[in-house]
Amino acid sequence: MFPNMIARNMKVWMLSALMAVSVSSYAQDKPNAENGKKLYEANNCGSCHALDKKVVGPALRGVHTRRSEEWLVQWVRNNEKFRKETKDPDAIALYTEYGGAAMNIFENLTPANVLDIVEYIKTAPEAKKAAVVATDANAPKDDNTALYILLILVAIFSSVLLVLARVKNTLKRVASEKNPEDFEDMHAPKKGFFEKILPGKWGKKNPVVLSVFTTVILGGLGAYYGFGYSISEVGVQKGYAPKQPIAFSHKLHAGDLKLDCKYCHSTVEESKQASIPALNTCMNCHKGVQLTDKYNGEISPEIKKIYAALDYNPEAKPGEEYGKNPRPIRWVRIHNLPDHAYFNHAQHVKVGKQTCQTCHGAIEKMEVVQQKNTLQMGWCIDCHRNAQVDVANNNYYKALHDKAKKDIASNNSKSKYFAADGKVKLTPAMNGGLECSKCHY
Amino acid sequence: MSNHIKYWKGEEELNKDPQFLAAQKNEFHDDLPLDEVFNEDGVELQANRRDFLKYFGFSVTAVALAACTKTPIRHAVPYLVKPEDVTPGVANYYRSTCGACSTACGIEVKVREGRPIKVDGSYDSPISMGGTCAVGQASILSLYDNERLANPLANGAEQTDWTALDSEIAGKLKGLGSAKIALVTSTIHGPSSLKAIEAFKTSYPSVDHVTYDAVSYSGILDANEADFGKRALPTYKFDTAKVIVSFGADFLGTWISPVEFSKGYTKHRQPSVEGGMSKHIQFESAMSMTGTNADFRFPMRASQEALYVATLYNYIAIATGAKQIPVPQQGELAGNSIKKTADALVKAKGSSLVISASNEVEVQKIVNGINMLLGNYGSTIDMVNHSNQYKGSDKKMAEVLAGLKSGSIAGVIFYNANPVYNHNSKEWSEALNKAKLSISFASSKDETAAACQYVCPDNHYLESWNDAEPRKGVYQFTQPTISNVFNTRQAQISLLVWANAVVAPAKDPFASKGIFSQKLQASPYYNFMRANWSALLGTDDAFNAVLEKGIYTEAASEGAVSYAGSVDSLASFVSANAKSAGLDMVLYQGVGVRDGAYANNPWLQEMPDPVSKVCWDNYVALPKALAVKLEIAEGDTVNVKVGDVTYNNVPAMVQPGQANETVAMALGYGRTHAGKVAGSVEKGFDTIGVNGYAFVNNTGNRNFVIKNVEITKGDDTYALAQTQTHHSIEGRDIVRESTYAKWQKNPKAGNDMPATHIYTIWEKPEYRKDGAPNHLWAMAIDLNSCTGCGSCLVSCSIENNVPVVGRDEIRLRREMHWIRIDRYYSFNSTEGVLTKDTEIAAADDKGNFDHWQNVNVLHQPMMCQHCSNAPCETVCPVLATTHSTEGLNQMTYNRCIGTKYCGNNCPYKVRRFNWFRFNDNDKFDFHFNNPLGKMVINPDVTVRTRGVMEKCSFCVQRIQEGKLKAKREGKSPNEVQVLTACQRACPSNAIVFGDLHNPESEVSKLYKNERGFTVLEEINVQSSVKYMTKIRNNDSI
Repeated sequence: MFPNMIARNMKVWMLSALMAVSVSSYAQDKPNAENGKKLYEANNCGSCHALDKKVVGPALRGVHTRRSEEWLVQWVRNNEKFRKETKDPDAIALYTEYGGAAMNIFENLTPANVLDIVEYIKTAPEAKKAAVVATDANAPKDDNTALYILLILVAIFSSVLLVLARVKNTLKRVASEKNPEDFEDMHAPKKGFFEKILPGKWGKKNPVVLSVFTTVILGGLGAYYGFGYSISEVGVQKGYAPKQPIAFSHKLHAGDLKLDCKYCHSTVEESKQASIPALNTCMNCHKGVQLTDKYNGEISPEIKKIYAALDYNPEAKPGEEYGKNPRPIRWVRIHNLPDHAYFNHAQHVKVGKQTCQTCHGAIEKMEVVQQKNTLQMGWCIDCHRNAQVDVANNNYYKALHDKAKKDIASNNSKSKYFAADGKVKLTPAMNGGLECSKCHY
Repeated sequence: MSNHIKYWKGEEELNKDPQFLAAQKNEFHDDLPLDEVFNEDGVELQANRRDFLKYFGFSVTAVALAACTKTPIRHAVPYLVKPEDVTPGVANYYRSTCGACSTACGIEVKVREGRPIKVDGSYDSPISMGGTCAVGQASILSLYDNERLANPLANGAEQTDWTALDSEIAGKLKGLGSAKIALVTSTIHGPSSLKAIEAFKTSYPSVDHVTYDAVSYSGILDANEADFGKRALPTYKFDTAKVIVSFGADFLGTWISPVEFSKGYTKHRQPSVEGGMSKHIQFESAMSMTGTNADFRFPMRASQEALYVATLYNYIAIATGAKQIPVPQQGELAGNSIKKTADALVKAKGSSLVISASNEVEVQKIVNGINMLLGNYGSTIDMVNHSNQYKGSDKKMAEVLAGLKSGSIAGVIFYNANPVYNHNSKEWSEALNKAKLSISFASSKDETAAACQYVCPDNHYLESWNDAEPRKGVYQFTQPTISNVFNTRQAQISLLVWANAVVAPAKDPFASKGIFSQKLQASPYYNFMRANWSALLGTDDAFNAVLEKGIYTEAASEGAVSYAGSVDSLASFVSANAKSAGLDMVLYQGVGVRDGAYANNPWLQEMPDPVSKVCWDNYVALPKALAVKLEIAEGDTVNVKVGDVTYNNVPAMVQPGQANETVAMALGYGRTHAGKVAGSVEKGFDTIGVNGYAFVNNTGNRNFVIKNVEITKGDDTYALAQTQTHHSIEGRDIVRESTYAKWQKNPKAGNDMPATHIYTIWEKPEYRKDGAPNHLWAMAIDLNSCTGCGSCLVSCSIENNVPVVGRDEIRLRREMHWIRIDRYYSFNSTEGVLTKDTEIAAADDKGNFDHWQNVNVLHQPMMCQHCSNAPCETVCPVLATTHSTEGLNQMTYNRCIGTKYCGNNCPYKVRRFNWFRFNDNDKFDFHFNNPLGKMVINPDVTVRTRGVMEKCSFCVQRIQEGKLKAKREGKSPNEVQVLTACQRACPSNAIVFGDLHNPESEVSKLYKNERGFTVLEEINVQSSVKYMTKIRNNDSI
């Protein structure tokens, strides 16, 4: 997993390097703060530095007053070489102050680039007080009180309206009995409802019969589809995308940063559960990656929630960062199967070689994770009828594979195992994958 | 029926009781229990039609409305820091040692996400050899028992602060000065525990460590001390014994080390075994589980045991030319059987074994003498590598009681000892009032703890570190598999703290664990134990390797013990006990509840007794002759009087095989401070059964054979919850048996049925044909190995989340066990086996009822047979039960609508209907009704709800797990390893499960065995369970 990550990080660095080169070609002799800002962002300086706050590295504001330009250029471009070759006492002191955590090497930056960045730091506006406060790491509480009050009000007003209409009609009738001439049109023969809407003789049929007939037809259809639909939808949570205690973005991690799903969901190939990662997995990266540049020198409020849960203090002395009151995070479960259905991730991912996306959808594009499929039995069965089991590369299926190959040899394209691509076609259904006890026990 | 033997399961069946016949006709003969179902939901309902319709209508509407509500939000809470070796969803297994009794079987604990959910035997332990007993299986539930003390108690008040309590107790201990303190414990053989006690004694020199076992082996221990100069139990090697003679010892069920003995005993119980089948002769009064397995079983008056043993000694002495014990010959004793037994023993000299359950030193001395004459020491009895499993001394315990009463002992500490319940209850209560200091380490407020000033609750063994030495040179380790559930502390730590002897660890074992290291703290007792082993297992690697295996063995010592005993002086004792008037009563340990320490465990209460099949009660077992004399029938009660102890209206039961002039009663019942299940005076829960310990004379070695018992008929009636005739199958060919001699002539003996003409409309399905690529799961059960112990039944209940239903439901034939052990009796008179109803009636008419003392017994485990042509599948209207291509009969709960058609159509009566919701239901207030008890639920198996059928699934969750493992590792189907829960637990390897498509599998081989038969073969359901015909070695002694 780690080399993988490093490889990905390397890509990011190289990309930034390219960008840096292209930017630097426009550089002027005089340090350019605007260019410096771009370089600062492109090189992810903010991952480790903040302007007004000591994070992983020192606070940068006023750095030009502390060090000479030459010193800064040498340090930023290759601090290791600088330290070892010149044995600069300031450099060594700085290195020891931060516990021997060396800064990355930025030889992609020209000396002019470094000075641009220094210029940006010099001129950068004073940070506003961070307004973001870490919220409680609890699950969202669905508060429907307002909705209920609204519904009750609607009900009250509707009944008032009905009563009023009734009163109005009664008054009208009383009035018409007193002064019939004022209400002549009321006594004119009226066209029935059905006469109005049905053509010709159909409209002249007995209205009672017609009403009953219509009610039965409409009611029946309504009940059939409505009831059938609601029954089939009971407990189905397709589209469920609850607010999570930490606004973790799969889009950022799995999509943009292209982290392997299995880096965090590490048990997916061996266990029933893919597992929500433990927070120590988060800390592998977020001990360093704090996104302070995005939040004006403050640590990202979402990352702060990880720290809060672990009772971790990033500013404490090494060895004392962890406090005694960690509180686990209560994530909201999105994909819920009933107790009587058994699902095993290892079976599908490791043996069946299915991707995460098969069931979870394009998770790498989701800012907020939502349930993409119904998780109903019909949906499972559909896949079990159509998916391919990789029988050729697993010794467990050897006998099945041999049998299928034999069958293809004698029946050619008529064999049920025949697949157009020349491989053996074997679905879970053909190997008992539709049997009850494969999932229900 | 085969062999024309008349088999019967209960008297009601034998006598064709009309009520029984009616019940047998219809498996579900009761109406729907609507009252109870509605009461369960808190609705009052007098079941009339109008009310029913009202509630029905309301319920439908309510359900419709409820379906519209939002699904509740569910949470997932992952670890903050995941322990490296834990994978959520995958079980971890840890080796440990069972702490349910001092036998100390090596076990393997299954742990899911930090909670232990199953205990099975460790294959590396010479004590368990992979097996477990029912008590060991069930002991896991005591970890999640709500009756456990959550905090220590001081004078009845809960304390939360151990430090304050420690200084108070240490102060009081010091305050006693040189006054004597007794530390009363059950047998302890762990070297570290013994060392901790030594450390305690060093700080408090006035402490005297007394070992007390509720049911002790003082008789054997004292006899061995006199004869060999060594107060120890020998290691009995049943696996090398060809002729086994037991006087009342239930060595397969309860005696010393039943799992070890079962494993050894069954090695020579198959007729095909190399060296021939062993012969087992049992003399006993009560029908014990071991007695049911004997080839020859002779009724014996327990009070005359000395005479029996002496007579046997004399016959052997004659044959070997040794000096006899001068007692008058009693020719009429058990026919001529003792002489024949002696001949058989002499013939198997050096590979025979004679044991006795008697707690009288004199009897045990004669038994030692017999084994000495037979040259069994060194072959079947190892006195050099002796057992440490029981070391209690009844005499010492009596001295403690006397000392407390007289005031010469000022303080007393109890560890795993509950004398107020199982010793002289009244005198102990008084004595404890006099004690200046009384402390109990009991984990619940038991009878003794309730009378003590301080209760410092001990951990459950699954929360503890420990070591054990059940046999000399065999060391087993206990490691915690869960952190403490309650604010409890291991007793050893308490002793060390009070003695100010807590050792600082050589180094912090968790120092390298990174973050949260400050949260992890090694138990002080771990440090103590680790230091104790530092000489032998110095490095962490060496120690951890031993922990992983659970065992450390030293090479067995060679050599012999010298016999200094003499039986001459015992003649007067034998003569004095030769005759007895009046009735004898045998107090025995039941296989489930044993000595009563685990009486509050509902699994053990619900397990039917292997012999009588009674659950949830103890009772007086009567011989038929006595029952007839007292006019006692099923459902009657008796009054029992011994000296000044009387119990009125105790349930009575006629026990076939019970010797005339004797009665029997199980110990372990009558608990007054056990808890919700077994009874608690304090909390207002009814006590189950009566306390048999009250009859025991506590001076000298406690004798569990009581003389001069007066039995009269009680006024009351009482219905025992007895499962023996539930799910009966009317007189069909269910069990088959033959004898060893016949088998030697014809390996199909007893199983040589004429071919049944089978007409079928079913074709043989593709998957059953040879060479089909999938698995074909099947089971083979050896009736010769099965001892009927019930370990499989408890194991199955744990694995498959089978609910406990309670006494009342069992009376209504609604037990839920997926596996039952059918026990069949057949009469065995002196003329041979009684085969016809008329013969039985004629024998009954003779009036002596001798044939009721001589019954043969057959145990047959019965569970879903996974028929290929399953009758249940064809009648299900909703396809809730279907067949899989791996030969499994699948039960799908979410489809089942509860018509019970399948149960009605099942020829084996193995389907169980959920009459109620057994979880979260106050009516069934067992572990499924509280959050702590639910921790034991197997997360891979559905918890069933009301109104669905269920049955044995062949542990499909284990099959799927095994298959998945093979698939993940790319192994061939033949390498799939699956053990069902019943098979895994079996202490006699009677159950074999496997894949018939794998020709190398053990089950495939057994399917070719000539002894194999399927039950009800003639109805052509093609069942997947084959039984091996029972072969008895009873042609001649």
